[in-house]
Amino acid sequence: MTITEAPPVKAQRKKPDLARIFLTQRIPLLAVLIVIVVVTFFINDAGGYLTAPYDFDYMSASLISAVPLAMLGLAEMLVILSGRGGIDLSVGAIVSLAGMIFGFAYGEWGWPLWLAIIATAGFGALLGAVNGFLVSYIGFPALIATLATFYAYKSIAIVINNQQPISTEPIQQLFSLTRSVELPIIGQYIPDVPLGIFTFLLPTVVAVWLLLARTAYGRRLYGIGTNDVAARWAGLPVRDTRFKAYVYAGLISGLVAVVTVAQFASARPDAGVSGNGMALPAITIAVLGGVAITGGIGRVAGVVLATLLIVWLNAGILLAFVGNEGSQYQLLALGAVLVFAALLNGLTNRKYGGAQ
Amino acid sequence: MTQENETPRLRLTAVSKRFGAVRAIQHADLTVRAGQVHALVGENGAGKSTMIKIVAGAEQSDTGEIEWDGSPVRIGSTTDAIALGIATVYQEPQLFPELTVAENIFLGKEIKSRGKVDWSAQNTKVVELLELLGLPAKYATATVGDLSIAEQQQVSIAKALSGDAKVLILDEPSAILTDAEIETLFTVVRRLTASGVSVIYISHRLDELFRIADEVTVMRDGRTIGTYPIGELSVRQIAHLMVGEELSDERPHREVPEGPAVLELHGLTRTGKFRDVDVSVRAGEIVALYGLVGSGVSEIAASCYGIEPATSGIIKINGSEQKPRSPEHAQKLGIALLPANRKVEGMFGFQSIAFNISAGHLKLLSKLGIFVDRGREKVVALDMIKRLAVRTPHERQPISAMSGGNAQKVVLARQLVERPKVLILAEPTQGVDVGAKEEIHRLITELAEEGTAVLVVTSDLPEALRIADRIQVVRGGTTTEEFGPDAKQVDLLAAAAGGSE
Amino acid sequence: MSLLKERTKPRVLTNPVTGQEIVLVGVIAVLWVALAVSTPAFLTAGSIQPLLVATAPIALVGVGMTIVIITGGIDVSVGGAIMVCSVITAKALVGSGVSLGVAVLISLLAGGVLGLVNGVLIAYGRVHAIIITFGTANIFMFLGLQIFGSGTVNGIPATLAFFGRGEDGRTLGIPHAFLVTILITAACWWYLRHTAGGRHFYAIGGDAQAARLAGVRVQRRVLLAYVITGLLVGLASCFVIAQGTSTLDQSVGSGKELAVIAAVVIGGTSIMGGRGSVLGTLLGALLVQTVSSGVTQLGWRSQLSDLFVGIFIIVAVGADLLRARARRSSR
Repeated sequence: MTITEAPPVKAQRKKPDLARIFLTQRIPLLAVLIVIVVVTFFINDAGGYLTAPYDFDYMSASLISAVPLAMLGLAEMLVILSGRGGIDLSVGAIVSLAGMIFGFAYGEWGWPLWLAIIATAGFGALLGAVNGFLVSYIGFPALIATLATFYAYKSIAIVINNQQPISTEPIQQLFSLTRSVELPIIGQYIPDVPLGIFTFLLPTVVAVWLLLARTAYGRRLYGIGTNDVAARWAGLPVRDTRFKAYVYAGLISGLVAVVTVAQFASARPDAGVSGNGMALPAITIAVLGGVAITGGIGRVAGVVLATLLIVWLNAGILLAFVGNEGSQYQLLALGAVLVFAALLNGLTNRKYGGAQ
Repeated sequence: MTQENETPRLRLTAVSKRFGAVRAIQHADLTVRAGQVHALVGENGAGKSTMIKIVAGAEQSDTGEIEWDGSPVRIGSTTDAIALGIATVYQEPQLFPELTVAENIFLGKEIKSRGKVDWSAQNTKVVELLELLGLPAKYATATVGDLSIAEQQQVSIAKALSGDAKVLILDEPSAILTDAEIETLFTVVRRLTASGVSVIYISHRLDELFRIADEVTVMRDGRTIGTYPIGELSVRQIAHLMVGEELSDERPHREVPEGPAVLELHGLTRTGKFRDVDVSVRAGEIVALYGLVGSGVSEIAASCYGIEPATSGIIKINGSEQKPRSPEHAQKLGIALLPANRKVEGMFGFQSIAFNISAGHLKLLSKLGIFVDRGREKVVALDMIKRLAVRTPHERQPISAMSGGNAQKVVLARQLVERPKVLILAEPTQGVDVGAKEEIHRLITELAEEGTAVLVVTSDLPEALRIADRIQVVRGGTTTEEFGPDAKQVDLLAAAAGGSE
Repeated sequence: MSLLKERTKPRVLTNPVTGQEIVLVGVIAVLWVALAVSTPAFLTAGSIQPLLVATAPIALVGVGMTIVIITGGIDVSVGGAIMVCSVITAKALVGSGVSLGVAVLISLLAGGVLGLVNGVLIAYGRVHAIIITFGTANIFMFLGLQIFGSGTVNGIPATLAFFGRGEDGRTLGIPHAFLVTILITAACWWYLRHTAGGRHFYAIGGDAQAARLAGVRVQRRVLLAYVITGLLVGLASCFVIAQGTSTLDQSVGSGKELAVIAAVVIGGTSIMGGRGSVLGTLLGALLVQTVSSGVTQLGWRSQLSDLFVGIFIIVAVGADLLRARARRSSR
């Protein structure tokens, strides 16, 4: 008979290869990039090259813009994780439309705040369910289904109140939600933190982390995203799981709608779609955070760190340039970082067989 | 027929090939004459596919010689092979479904005139090819995606022939075809040989060789046992040459407890796939469904598991009639299934061993039905790793980094977390090394000892004989004969390959 | 006839027009009739001409996008690219008073370079097209805004009026922009249908690996698809400037990538690659513009047209999905 093939002996564990760690593990890479960005701006600040001081207070205050960005990044992560080309172009439109609903409920009909928030989140979930139904049960490519609903929601949001924003008294007072607060006990020693971080962002981050890392649903989601044929053979509810990913993304978008209304002190019909919209930056954050566009790979920490990187980079850029130059360079930074991350992923796939 | 002294079209002499420590083929010979159908047969792993790859230029032999029309040649790449006139048609058609047949045939080598594709010229050639194959000329402009699998295969043959092939390799062409479609295929093959093309025909279905082949070369354990004119042999004799002298298998006789059947299939039918399948498995019993690729055997397993529900017939679990609608439902009924295609249907590639084992049992392994009980998950995973002797440093290792045998054990472990009443194993040791194969077989026996009803669906003959208490042969989409554990390989093979003379 | 031609030529190609295109023509015809009945002003030159002019840039970029999507890719950076091309061209018109031909050349060159950047990154970087073009979209917008400097470009001369809405922009009542779009669409239609290179786009979208094995130069083809799109973006930017006033503001091109993709998808091109037609895209763009113009003429809110775009996408792709499902189950 032929000789039995001996199982290949694993080479002795080599000493940790730093290049490999940074290429295959997104989280250390992001952490290092954040340090580089912050240190760079500190040095610039010390040299007097910035228009205003770049210090911990400033960094903390700038976190307010991390709230919608990180939340929508997490929403995109959920749908991208579900695999089969999962993506949601409609999140910005959901923010606009759900924001109008919030405007009506809280600003016009005088609902209590908690009820209005729940209703808005639920409405967002409903809009997400339309996406999920089209993608998971009918079989639309996600790009197409959410492109269609992007147009539909965006249109309804504008038409629903005759193109008028809602900025009644109660809505205007919501602006207080975005103020910075001093934390109890340790508050004296650290900078004040925007309230939105605690009321919206942290709960969402914790909830999504729990959902993905600790619940059975999270397991199923990673399962269908990794290999949805195997998931079917393993008896997982593939369609139901994918459907829910879109529902959750819609729900988070609904919460972002509330945050956005508070930030603008007004429910604007084009809040989530004006200019470049909110979907593009959200997808960018997710991909930068290490979420694989093919599904099944991605962690909450990656998305959060990617958000911090972009927010603090943007905050620094605003100080480094005068006038609207700053916001322009933010676009460059976002684009360049995304292309860099994507090329890095491509390189990693070829060299090490995939990132983690 | 042909004279012995005629120069053969293709001759391989004393060809050997090793993959690492494994000798895939050694001192194999193959002689193919012009205008003949030369059948190549052998069990799985006998070396047929390596042989074909060497001829097609996909692999290079370590030693040995190749002659083409009497002069020595070197086939260093697929391009070399095509240049000589050797074309290969693989089992799965490699075509572009959105393009027409003519476009598929000429892709990358279009006939052009003044910058544009000369459709008429291409079409004329395609119609000629189709005529040669006896296919309707209207195929030329049909979109490939609109054709049936059989028609797509014929297109693949036409594509292979478009480069003026002199030797055509057909790799198990009949496995995916119905009887009527096989008849068409044979007509095509006969037309080809009449025009001087040689065909190397690989098939598991021995009966059909008698209708199409001129000569047959039998392979076993990487060697060519011999080449014979087909008329000199019977199916039984070929089967005998394929399996060789049987080693006395010191398989301990197993006592199967008496009792009612746990799994019963009565007249189970799925239109177009299988019909009238009758099988019963008692608790503690191992029954093998043995059939060749394409016999419908794997579809039977999929039906019991709710993947492709049967169209008629009865499935009984512990005496009560059930209709598994989905894998989830089948699992609720106490049926577990180890899928045949590990990479596609079994593995969650870059996820950990623990993840792969607990998938599908998340309800059981969770607290309040919501949160994964990671402590218990780890315990279960470590327990399974130990019980199945999975070789791994820890349970967090991604399954994609493991060898075939270890990965298979992990996928098998998933089926055992909640003890199933019925365990269906589809090709349990395909692509698994010898050591792991032994271990998996021992494990299957253990599971039966503990009272599980085991149905092994396999196209691996020695495997069926080694572990099963009863063997049901599936041929042509239905259960035919039943054999006991001491049946002879020859008889089983002959029954499955269609030699009921 | 048979005397002129001895042998009847066998039909060697599939239908030149797809079912989806026939349906689109039907839908557009029905809409035009319905609009003509309900608003008498619709079927007048004063209403149809602007409609055709407005269709041109979306359809033109859509032709490039169709090729990109046929190869299995996508380009979401066309909005940013339109901004770059139009601001460069507008500045050249204002600053140096270049002629029509030179302006078009400048715009084409700018678009070609941007397309080349996308193409190189996607074909040779082997990264998913949607991610790369999301990234370049941001970079292009940065470039565009940088060139804008502060505010708007004012006092653009009427050099490009040849492509505009006015009298100079028409011959025999047909707007030049639309005429050029038709010509280019026809040329691309012919190229995709009748040349080996054109067919290779389809093969790549079907199965890039198999296409490579069959001898198709996949990377070059993919690169070409993005460069063609870039060039068409360049030309479309000239239309955009011509249609506007003498002022170009920073919102130019914004959101156009989705409008273009919508037209392509409604036209029957499969987002999965391997199947599609530029004729369908032209019709898709025309349908979207018809609805948008119809909605305004009916006195409805103009933003309502987006709702119809969404519905059209669902119906067009949904019908295709059902057809594919029926085809599979009939096997």
